[in-house]
Amino acid sequence: MAKTFNRREALIFGIGGVGVFALTANGANAQDQTELTFWTVRLNTPELQAALLPILAQFEAEHPGIKMVNEPVSGSLVYPKFLTAVRGQLMPDIAEAYSYHPLQFAAIDQMAEMDDIIADWDADGRLADIVNEFAYRKFFWHDHYWGVPYNLDPRAIFYRRDILDAKGIKPPTNWDEFRDAAIACHDPDNGVFGLVFPAGNFHIAQHFYMGFMFQAGGSILDKDGNLVFGTTAREANIQALVYLTDFHTKHHVTPEGIGSYNTDDAHTIFAQGRAAFGMATGRLLGQIKKENPDLVERTGILETLQGPKAKLTAGFYNPMFVWKYSPNVEAAKTFVRWFIQPGRLEPVYDAVPGQHWPIFKSEFNTPRVQQDRLLGEMLQKVIPYTTDFAYPGTGVPEMGVIDGEKLFAAPVNEVVVGTKTPEQAVDDAHKAMAEVFAS
Amino acid sequence: MSNRRAFFAYYLILPSLVLIVLLNLYPLIEGIIVSMQNQNMMRANQTAFVGFKHYDRALFQSIDFWGSLGRTVVWTAGSVAGAYLVGLSLALLLNMQIRGRGFFRALFLIPWVVPEVVTALLWKWCYSDEFGIINFLLARVGLLEKPIPWLSNPDIAMPAVIVVQVWKLYPVMTIVLLAALQNVPNELHEAASIDGAGVWQRLRYVTLPLIRSASVIITMLGAIWTFQNFDIVYLLTGGGPADATQILPTLVYEKAFWALEIGYASALGVLILICLMVMSVLYLLVYRSQAQAEPA
Repeated sequence: MAKTFNRREALIFGIGGVGVFALTANGANAQDQTELTFWTVRLNTPELQAALLPILAQFEAEHPGIKMVNEPVSGSLVYPKFLTAVRGQLMPDIAEAYSYHPLQFAAIDQMAEMDDIIADWDADGRLADIVNEFAYRKFFWHDHYWGVPYNLDPRAIFYRRDILDAKGIKPPTNWDEFRDAAIACHDPDNGVFGLVFPAGNFHIAQHFYMGFMFQAGGSILDKDGNLVFGTTAREANIQALVYLTDFHTKHHVTPEGIGSYNTDDAHTIFAQGRAAFGMATGRLLGQIKKENPDLVERTGILETLQGPKAKLTAGFYNPMFVWKYSPNVEAAKTFVRWFIQPGRLEPVYDAVPGQHWPIFKSEFNTPRVQQDRLLGEMLQKVIPYTTDFAYPGTGVPEMGVIDGEKLFAAPVNEVVVGTKTPEQAVDDAHKAMAEVFAS
Repeated sequence: MSNRRAFFAYYLILPSLVLIVLLNLYPLIEGIIVSMQNQNMMRANQTAFVGFKHYDRALFQSIDFWGSLGRTVVWTAGSVAGAYLVGLSLALLLNMQIRGRGFFRALFLIPWVVPEVVTALLWKWCYSDEFGIINFLLARVGLLEKPIPWLSNPDIAMPAVIVVQVWKLYPVMTIVLLAALQNVPNELHEAASIDGAGVWQRLRYVTLPLIRSASVIITMLGAIWTFQNFDIVYLLTGGGPADATQILPTLVYEKAFWALEIGYASALGVLILICLMVMSVLYLLVYRSQAQAEPA
């Protein structure tokens, strides 16, 4: 005879069933599999996700005891997401994100030290294979490494080979040649600007100033991490600011509205074939291929300019980091070690050409690069000269706020729209940066 | 019996009350507490009590707050005044016996239903110096020789973003004012006409006094909505150029999520709340006086 349940018994069984399901579904399953949460901020688009997931599946196949749970995080919501996670102590075991994050999270005691991974890389030669020592030195703060670099986001100057050829101008290699070439190529009657760059009050727009700053011998910090933007580096930083903004205010070779441009606006103008030179992120390369393929053959990437003091450009080495309070720190580091290896991310680089770049020199000569002139030009002419915000020293958490608050975008924006002189703009930006250090 | 009915009513509203407390009151109290803590996400001692330090910084030490408050007032007043004028004009037109009145009513509502993010992106394209339709059309009819940098000129950027908010806000003004206009007895217009009043005199001495209550209420509500609006300015200009459109909500966002100064941002948020409470009290007072002034 079938037993019937009354309402109370049914409720108890129901709650019990849900409880059993919850216990078995939270990672503590019967196979004792370690579950690692992995937040991806830079690898968050559908194309990049499609390239990433097979890599994660390969890791799981090689490490049967570890299951990866990937969550893409919107770049524009990165701080709200991480800050909420810190407050709720629900940080991911591993994350890849923007340059400044590991030190900022280290400053509030959330990051696991990564010294052992750096030591391993030093021993096996991987550290020497990294393009630039600042790629990892910028994650060194208070005697420890808090993140490790895994890919690169460079800033470069694209140019129109056909326009320069028609004018009989060789690709410029220094400040004087570049200025003269931009002026010579400016042809408003035919809808071509000499130069386009973003000068808006936006986060990424400021990174182009950084490159010129380094070329002039300036910087934001000194080698000990002290703020020198408006003190010992003031003259060089003003020189760079004047050089950059003169293209708009004095030479008048840029679009009228660059004071409101973010990177996308500058990319669009160049991809439409309406600028002889364009300052851009690597993403422009993929945009030209997709939106205006006829322009690919007519486009080149300039050798990093030799400035008055140095031949450097800005590039952002994106980090991976591990949460200090993860119950699986060692497993998380196992994944980081496995993930950051020459050749491992080729599918990612292939998915969105130009958006992400390798950090190992041994990845410069792959078949993918050999078959693509522009990739080769970027890797040979730009990537070796990329350096990061910490130059010429190691990183400090305050730089994340200085970058986030767009404190070195402000001088470019203010001079371009005519509200301040370069000297005032640099001095005011220094004051604002000093407030961040004093906060 | 009546007590039991009252208890039953409380019982019914309990779920909503719990939700309101959880979703509104708790964050509000938490925000006030955080505004008195260090809560700098770059520093270790986050929960350290700092009293009114952040308020002191906002009100007496930094120029951020007062500058942004001034711009917020301009942004709010410009948007509400513009939207009211457009809304009133359209309401007067739609109140006339014209063909396709229903169609136009629906048409004019479109900006109201477009999400703010879409609105901002749409207008960003319209304002673009190189590929925007406004400059294109002005150049086409010969009014422009070179593009106007709508969003990169500090003198033009604020009026430009106000126009967008006017576009977003006028439909609700139109609807409310149209409803009020339809309650104005036609006999009054006829009597005024017989007495020799012209169109403007009828508008000034008959129509406007009779829709004053609706006008006050909708402009006060519009001011409250606009004062705390974040999306349009942030997406169009990011607060630039050179801080020309940095209003209080964008300042709070920047301080909280880029500067990581959650404590200071919370203090700014509380100050915004105080401004909004003042506006709300004014609104309630005006609403009450209007209600009392209404003929029975």
